[in-house]
Amino acid sequence: MLKSLFAALAVTTALGFPAAAMAKPVTFTTTLKDYGGNGAYLAFYVTDKSGAYAGSLWMAGGKSKYYKHLANWYQATGGDRAQINGITGASVGSGRTLEVTLDLKDALFDAGYTLHVDASVEDRRDSPDDVKVPLTSAGAGTPVKGRRYVSTFTYGM
Amino acid sequence: MSKILSLLLASAALTAVVGVPAWSAMHLPQQGAAVTPMTAVLGSTDTAELLVLVDDDDDEDEDADGNVKRGTSNDDDDAEECDDDDRSCGAAAATQAAPAGTVAPPQNGLFDTGTPQVQVK
Repeated sequence: MLKSLFAALAVTTALGFPAAAMAKPVTFTTTLKDYGGNGAYLAFYVTDKSGAYAGSLWMAGGKSKYYKHLANWYQATGGDRAQINGITGASVGSGRTLEVTLDLKDALFDAGYTLHVDASVEDRRDSPDDVKVPLTSAGAGTPVKGRRYVSTFTYGM
Repeated sequence: MSKILSLLLASAALTAVVGVPAWSAMHLPQQGAAVTPMTAVLGSTDTAELLVLVDDDDDEDEDADGNVKRGTSNDDDDAEECDDDDRSCGAAAATQAAPAGTVAPPQNGLFDTGTPQVQVK
């Protein structure tokens, strides 16, 4: 009787550990203002609670020669393309909405991480930290206004 | 006789037109400023009369407020790039980041195993 109880406890504990480190799909929805220019380059990246760069989540825009205009991201990464391998897509047109769904670790939320979006548009002023929002469960689904090119930004789980 | 006189006048005028800028260029000031004076020929020291190069601005990345912009000539110096946005430019494509879906996301501790999905509306 005791043996089977221990076995059952062991199984539930073993199942519980992966659950604690689970990931979930998170959708970032970014709507740009109708600024009327060429497609915007957007760099999505995360800093930890000390403000240190933790990693990139998405890069909208394929030409690396423009990455230096995503000033804060570039400063943190030196433009290292390895940071955005497999998470790079096309630039986003004026007035369009970008929806990116990523399989992210749960540990990113409610742990002091902040999501940043740097934006750049050809022949226009660069906009580092166009969006800057803490990643929290409570903040999910709440639209945030951007500074220059981003009209609204929302993340949903 | 009048023909010769007019020919002489024309050649003198031509010499003046070509020669004055050339003479002036040979007498640039020593400080190396981007100013091309006519003073060597005309003898004037009034700075208001100096000829100035039209464009000596090397801050072409900045607008009037000093803010940095994308899409200036410095961006085009990068010979490694392609002009289209489809990242299918042969050898140059190797210098770009791998597009989503072609390789796994970076191992930065933020991602799980799922493939990113993207759409633009």
